[in-house]
Amino acid sequence: MSEIDVRQKVLAANALAAESLRSAFLLSRTLVVNMISSPGSGKTTLLETTARALRDRLRLGALDGDIATDRDAARLQRAGIPARQILTGGACHLDARQVEKALAEEGRRLSGLDILFIENVGNLICPTSYDLGEDFKVVLLSVVEGDDKPFKYPAIFARAAVTVITKADLLPHVEFDLDSVRQQVATLNPSGRFLVTSTPTGQGLSAWFALLEEERTRKQANLRAVCAR
Amino acid sequence: MHEMGLAAEAYRIAREAADACSGGPLESVTIVVGELSAVEPDLLAFAWEAVVADGPDANARLVVDWRAARQVCAVCGEVPDRAAGSWMRLCPGCREPLAVTGGNELDVRNVVFAGATLETGGDG
Repeated sequence: MSEIDVRQKVLAANALAAESLRSAFLLSRTLVVNMISSPGSGKTTLLETTARALRDRLRLGALDGDIATDRDAARLQRAGIPARQILTGGACHLDARQVEKALAEEGRRLSGLDILFIENVGNLICPTSYDLGEDFKVVLLSVVEGDDKPFKYPAIFARAAVTVITKADLLPHVEFDLDSVRQQVATLNPSGRFLVTSTPTGQGLSAWFALLEEERTRKQANLRAVCAR
Repeated sequence: MHEMGLAAEAYRIAREAADACSGGPLESVTIVVGELSAVEPDLLAFAWEAVVADGPDANARLVVDWRAARQVCAVCGEVPDRAAGSWMRLCPGCREPLAVTGGNELDVRNVVFAGATLETGGDG
């Protein structure tokens, strides 16, 4: 019997594809945001609102991962931005090779963007493991899902640079301890940003838009730093 | 259930490593799984059996080396007595907020296989 020490990441193949994407996104100065949440937390709704607010100033685009239907991409197209559906046929997450393939097939329509949103398959667990070449992950949690979720699904809340609470207009109608959620997220992810939003009332949206603009400016500065080297 | 894809990927890595040594059937493969890797060890083991079934490595055992994430207090250092799967917001000693570190591992660490026929050379 023989034995070999391997020390290879299980997701090495995905990581390779993700690094290739990340390098291309750096050169095209595209900020890439990987949006993760349970089904129904409001990913598409937040992106529709974002598209309508920023589409005149920034070139936005989206990839939408779902098991079936092209409803989400169609909604974002109606909101005025190019969007492409990626159907996973049952898989619970997007991987970097699916993103590469979709972008290659779309060609110019989804190239040269200021911000590319990748709306992952609705799931708080599986998408956490897969790097898509994004600049950062955003996790959404709607107030109707309950206030115990960060500690119950610690991996995504620990890794997402931004936690967005959605449907905050429903807070008077549900038991949701916002301070507890804020503290759970801070425990798992002390440097993470925390936003409380509602698309019907507009609460927190200006902070969300400002965060995107700020990160996009940072990305452009990153490329300048690389070129100056 | 992304464990299926992960098990298939882990098998590919392990088989490639054994092939590189001209090895025979796999006996066991050790995977390090961190608490924050979003992987459920039982599901991974279940998926592993499905991946290797009916093939040359059907008897290969998956060994999961589980690594808990750690909670650290800036004042008192590591807080050791956290129950698995639970999280503390504040240090039980000094009530300062705790930080979470580690637990992101998802690595194939070790492969045991039968019948290595690797030429050791030496006479040339």
